[in-house]
Amino acid sequence: MFTTRKQYYPYISPFDPCPPIRVKTYVTAPNLYLGFQPPNLPQFSPHEALQKGTLWKVFYDPYYSPYEMANKGDYK
Amino acid sequence: MKQLPKEYYELLEQLQAVDFVLVELTLYLDTHPNDYQAIQQFNQFAQKRKQLKKQYEETYGPLQQFGNSYSSYPWNWDDTPWPWQV
Repeated sequence: MFTTRKQYYPYISPFDPCPPIRVKTYVTAPNLYLGFQPPNLPQFSPHEALQKGTLWKVFYDPYYSPYEMANKGDYK
Repeated sequence: MKQLPKEYYELLEQLQAVDFVLVELTLYLDTHPNDYQAIQQFNQFAQKRKQLKKQYEETYGPLQQFGNSYSSYPWNWDDTPWPWQV
């Protein structure tokens, strides 16, 4: 399923003192995947748009950390 | 000192939400000049904003100065509460 959260696999050395983090993720901005904004994209209601900081649902990205995702997963 | 009623904040928040939508649509329309549907939406919200402003000013005094809002009697735009005190 498409997500703006990408991941990479850091090199793990045999001499790492702590337990290795095998997968690290990072969030990319939604506007990267949208060249010239097409018309008639789905929108938030005015009140919600004011809270979320954008009028169009596709651009809403609260930049959650992977750990926050569990409880605040109101992500689209 | 008299406290502002709850409706004051609700009305102000509505005005803020409509203003935000207008800002977003303005920025969108800058790059999409012939998106007719967005222009329609923009005009609807502009009209809604005028109503909200009128409604606000009838009860709570002028919103902006230098002719952007009518003045009530007596001249009271400099009365408290100021926007940052609200």
